[in-house]
Amino acid sequence: MANFPPSDGSTESHERDHGGRAAAGIEQSDLELVRRAQRGERGAFDLLVLRYQHKVIKLVARLLRDSTEAEDVAQEAFIKAYRALGSFRGDSAFYTWLYRIAVNTARNTMASRQRRPLRYEAGLSETEQAVVATRLQHIDTPEASALTGEIRDVVTRTVEALPEDLSTAIVLREVEGLSYEEIAEAMDCPVGTVRSRIFRAREAIDRNLAPLLSQDE
Amino acid sequence: MTDQIKEQISALLDGELPADQLGLLVRRMERDEGLRRTFGRYALVGETLRAPNGPLASAGFACRVISALDGDPEKPKSAGRTTGSSAGSRRMRWLVGTGVAASVLMAAAMVMNPVNDSPAIVASAPVAVPSVVAVSPQPDLEPRFSGVSPTPEESQRMAGYLVAHSEFATPIGRRNVWSGVLADEPEMSLASYESIEAD
Repeated sequence: MANFPPSDGSTESHERDHGGRAAAGIEQSDLELVRRAQRGERGAFDLLVLRYQHKVIKLVARLLRDSTEAEDVAQEAFIKAYRALGSFRGDSAFYTWLYRIAVNTARNTMASRQRRPLRYEAGLSETEQAVVATRLQHIDTPEASALTGEIRDVVTRTVEALPEDLSTAIVLREVEGLSYEEIAEAMDCPVGTVRSRIFRAREAIDRNLAPLLSQDE
Repeated sequence: MTDQIKEQISALLDGELPADQLGLLVRRMERDEGLRRTFGRYALVGETLRAPNGPLASAGFACRVISALDGDPEKPKSAGRTTGSSAGSRRMRWLVGTGVAASVLMAAAMVMNPVNDSPAIVASAPVAVPSVVAVSPQPDLEPRFSGVSPTPEESQRMAGYLVAHSEFATPIGRRNVWSGVLADEPEMSLASYESIEAD
């Protein structure tokens, strides 16, 4: 069995992705969404799924070293997290907690994969073949890879073409992980302006992505 | 979908939305799939900028998870208990309140009714103990509204009760509850007025 990073390693990697104050803001916002979900507001948990879907899939795909199963395992992890939400007390960041659930789910999948005899598609029932086909359709097709590549191209090209104040704001936020306050200090402008610039940058990228994503949706 | 709301969604994604705006936005997003999609696409933009080489979730992934959660019989344990018990206790309080009111009315009617003033019946009036009526789960003890127009307070309480119970319902279920509330209320009033007129 592969060695997994310790469960608290996620905090480090999470904080590498985001600056300190920005991470604190996200943790606070996550906690608020968790509290709402715990009170029965399902929509709040849906937002957590939307926020962390790519991170969890990346993590699971890395652990499994097999992208065909990554979405199924990630889905299972989200369902487990939802069911266990009542036990989340907010002692750690929500993502750290979710990360731990995803790691354990991936670990269980790998253990059951080792127990299960290797099966070939020829030996699968029609239903099983359909399931495999659906999985492959979602991740492994050349079309899906091409789409992912196109998404990256569009995002990169749009950011390069943005006015400097917008591209700086979005890069400082998304790549450097600075909070709005830190960006405001760096760009010498009010926090409200930072918020507006980041939104306008996202909107510009989104407008260019829309035709691509509407084909896929 | 206004730019103001989309700017709030952008701030929410960054954890920079003031807490007092969060609740309203989350409820709005729960109702509006377009807003949820916007949130998902903004998250995708960030993920693509941060880690351009990793795999991304397919476009339908979040929808599949959300559908699976909709169909999942297991709810978050404490959340289910909290909501269920609070809704249950609200319902119980409502029944207790109604039971108390009913028994007070019954006692008053018995005291004031000169026909049934035999000592045996007057003595038995306090036997209509409200707690017995209130805690019994039997459906035939539910208060009936036939011929009585609900007061605004009652209507509001009933709407609150229905909403509380629809928290875990599917979106279709929720729509049905709301459309039921909206559609039924005028009929209830109409029926009540008709019965009053008939009297």
